[in-house]
Amino acid sequence: MNKTLLLASALLIVGCGTPASYKDPNGRDLVVSLEKVNIQDFATAGSAMLQSMVQSKAFDRKDPPVLQLGQILNDTTNNFDTSLLLSKITMPLVNAGRIQLIESDPVASAARTATPGAKVPTPEFVLKGKILEDRANAGRTRQASYIFQLTLVDVRTSLAVWAKEETVTKAGSKNSVGF
Amino acid sequence: MKATPFIFAAALLVGCTSVIKTADKVERGLTPPDAINYVTTKADGTFVVQMNDTRIGNKIELLAARKSKTPGGFAVVQFDFRNGAFLGQNINVSFEWLSANGQVTERQDNWVPTLLEPGAIKTVTATALKAESAECRLRLISR
Repeated sequence: MNKTLLLASALLIVGCGTPASYKDPNGRDLVVSLEKVNIQDFATAGSAMLQSMVQSKAFDRKDPPVLQLGQILNDTTNNFDTSLLLSKITMPLVNAGRIQLIESDPVASAARTATPGAKVPTPEFVLKGKILEDRANAGRTRQASYIFQLTLVDVRTSLAVWAKEETVTKAGSKNSVGF
Repeated sequence: MKATPFIFAAALLVGCTSVIKTADKVERGLTPPDAINYVTTKADGTFVVQMNDTRIGNKIELLAARKSKTPGGFAVVQFDFRNGAFLGQNINVSFEWLSANGQVTERQDNWVPTLLEPGAIKTVTATALKAESAECRLRLISR
């Protein structure tokens, strides 16, 4: 009898959990995963890179430079869309009128072809980059580092005019909630 | 003796959610709530500090707030902080930009975790994306 009750109690304990709720995606109580890049990691790296980029010489002018996106290589074990990082940089810049971003949309291209006198501005800069991963273990503690590298290349000279590396490191024995 | 497992089981059957909620309430009662602290630059070159969390206020010291402009005419603000405590402090920073008439023109939505070792001085730099952004309001919260 006692065994049955204890078993029932154990099953109930296993069943305990926090019900799902909506969270502020920019808040401080989001899930921190050791095995993947979290949404807040993209935001942290993206905002740091955005601030660094607007302080570069390429942005020391009043007229917005024409930018084209190059290749962003995902060299991690995670499968994610690299626009999660790029959007954190390009969206504020486009919306503030700080860059002219060339978009290669097929519908827009077809419409432009049919429009007399329309032409695409020549890109001045190409933004390219790479996302890397580094892992280390010590006993039960696991550490995951994600390295975000971006370079702004002047297309006339092929010289890098800005480059930035931002590393996000997380360590622990299991996933958690919060910073 | 036999009553103990019955009471234990009954307590669990009442529901895990209420147990979790009670524990959460107790924890919130014991821990002072996190509050955001603000540092806002002013047009005359000075700055205003709005301290809502005195725990962080006793440890993190604001040394300076410098305001300048980029060659393109965009505002740049630098805040210098010093950890005056004997332990490392984890703070989260973020900022908003205000126009000359006080309207919010742009904001950094996410918090940037920043570790300050004891005695360390950290400079936080913010550059405005919009020309109308004139003053910067730094938001600061402890972990």
